[in-house]
Amino acid sequence: MRRARLGWWLLAIPMSLLALATIYPLLFTANVALKTRREYILDRFSLTDSLNWANISTAWTSAGMGRYFVNSLVVVTLSVLLLLLLGSMAGFALSQLRFRGSSALFLGCLAGLFIPFQVVMVPLARIMADTALIDTYPGLILVYVAQFLPFTVFLMTSYYRGIPPEIVDAARIDGNTVYGVYRRIMLPLGTPALLSVGILNTLFCWNDVLMALVMMPSAENRTLMIGVTSLRGQYSDNIPTFASGVLIAAIPVLLVYLFLQRQIADGVAAGSTKG
Amino acid sequence: MRQRAIWSAVLVVGLALAGCGSASDSGKSTSSDGKLVVWDWKSGEPFAKSYLDKAKADFKKKHADVEVEFVAQPFDQYYTLLGAAIQSGKGPDVMMFNGGGQIRDRVDALVPITDYVAEDKQRLAGWEAFTKDSKVYGSPVTLQGYPIYYNKDIYQKAGLDPASPATTWDKFVADCAAVAKAGSKCFALGNKEGVGIQFWLSSMGSVTLTAAEYDAWITGKRDWTSPNVKRVFETWKETGDKKMNTDGANSTAMFNDSFAAFQSGKAAHVMGLMSDVGHWKAFNEFLTPEKLGVMKPPVVTAGTTPSLPYDGGIGYAVAKWTKDPKVAADLVRSLTSADALKAFYADAGAIAADTTIDVSQAGPAASTIVSELKSGKPALHVALSSKTIDLMGRLSQQLLSGSITVDEVVKQLAASDQAG
Repeated sequence: MRRARLGWWLLAIPMSLLALATIYPLLFTANVALKTRREYILDRFSLTDSLNWANISTAWTSAGMGRYFVNSLVVVTLSVLLLLLLGSMAGFALSQLRFRGSSALFLGCLAGLFIPFQVVMVPLARIMADTALIDTYPGLILVYVAQFLPFTVFLMTSYYRGIPPEIVDAARIDGNTVYGVYRRIMLPLGTPALLSVGILNTLFCWNDVLMALVMMPSAENRTLMIGVTSLRGQYSDNIPTFASGVLIAAIPVLLVYLFLQRQIADGVAAGSTKG
Repeated sequence: MRQRAIWSAVLVVGLALAGCGSASDSGKSTSSDGKLVVWDWKSGEPFAKSYLDKAKADFKKKHADVEVEFVAQPFDQYYTLLGAAIQSGKGPDVMMFNGGGQIRDRVDALVPITDYVAEDKQRLAGWEAFTKDSKVYGSPVTLQGYPIYYNKDIYQKAGLDPASPATTWDKFVADCAAVAKAGSKCFALGNKEGVGIQFWLSSMGSVTLTAAEYDAWITGKRDWTSPNVKRVFETWKETGDKKMNTDGANSTAMFNDSFAAFQSGKAAHVMGLMSDVGHWKAFNEFLTPEKLGVMKPPVVTAGTTPSLPYDGGIGYAVAKWTKDPKVAADLVRSLTSADALKAFYADAGAIAADTTIDVSQAGPAASTIVSELKSGKPALHVALSSKTIDLMGRLSQQLLSGSITVDEVVKQLAASDQAG
């Protein structure tokens, strides 16, 4: 009994510290967001006395966050849908269909994981400008899909490799076409991995600054994260307003995490074991 | 069959949405007749509103048919973004630059505006930072300099005379000891990004290098073997060794943490700015104008004369690809018009490039700074390449932590400077 209690404490203390370390930055940001500039400069770590909600509305209006929120929502939703569609199709083909060059194709996809955006940024901006895709939703969506597809293909292929090929064979014997197998068998079976990849891609796209900044140069087409970073100039010292912007931008991501945390955990574990 | 239809519908709706939702007016940021696009990192700030309104009104008088769109970009990514725009040859018509290396490195993408701004030459100061090979590429909006601000309240608590700050380095070090005894730090320092050393080099330059060495430094003939150059870095190290700086300087951000330390009365001095942060106006807000002093740097090398280091701060330039450079240059002139700059000084607190602006109501600190402009000299760090400045930042952190010698620092900087 005593040993069990000791074990509980040994687990609870480090876990509590870990939880605190994770949640503290969020609480700190929320506290700063509700301070006046003066309060922040005099003591940033103290609890706010003023509960200065005006910072939130200033951040919302001066950064034009309403419009940027819609931009982010449209771009991220369509990008993630396209990523899931293409990623799951490629994952199914590369893991279950036997054709010449599939391994080379898979390695080719993986190579994309090692190309940072900064390397391709300038030529890409030029291509986008030449094809009139710069400063458009489709332009940014294409860039997101290109950037995050290798990761999606990698995860979906790994997941589908855990599914016995006999299932595919049986479905083909039953008269399904390749598309039929994908749609009726693989897509439903891949739901946990799709959820996980979808959530991760949502976070990647939602939090991106650089790609959106380069591809959306005009003010009205920006995404939410650019709106937040614009709240901070070269030397801007209104940190409470900036913290308010950060908080606003983080809320959708937090909600996704809160409601889908079980699926995230399941999805990450899915495909890690066979059978 | 039904599922196929659903999937097709999803795809069609998605692609249609993407197409319909595509940002209107693609390529809007490129110049076009009837519209000028400006990129900067200030126009989103509330204090810039009145400045921009005045500039727009002035421009409207000259070109009523030309629309102007300001796009405030995040400063952290500004030059990366500008680089992409320059490479693709499509970007804003008018763009903001920091004076010095940032604009000089990009003059290939700019139109020389020497002739367009000839009338403004006398009224504005700070042109040198926007000039390359005798051609002007930008008009200065502000001046950027590095005055030493001090807190008269702390001086009084330490038993020092707030009206007579130290004029020699040895006396200054002794004053700092008195300040420490009274419970404060001597300098508020943030050197996390390695920027603190830039301020130090420029602030202490005129009192450590001889006038000839100073001028040679600015013209690019830098003698890194000079004992006086070495002395600048020795005084920097001394502040660390004698614990004159606020704690954890190497892990403190200059913007805005070190300034906050000064504002909140934790340190007696700070090497601040003249632009819109870390300046007299922000400090006045916390210390009150009466308690805020501006002092000349204390003489380190006998026979030297203290001077205020300053250059052109920020300014606007015209892109090479703009359709009508004359119209774009007119916008730049409006952005540096007397009325607009007056508003920028009043709201942002920046010392504007127009030195005829009356600052007498701003308190003694602002008046002192403006009075010192005439005898001021270009800042030493601005003359260095950005590569050498980066290296200096890293080495300055090692100096503070005691992991490198001054000799080694000077040797490495000389090699970097000579490599170009």
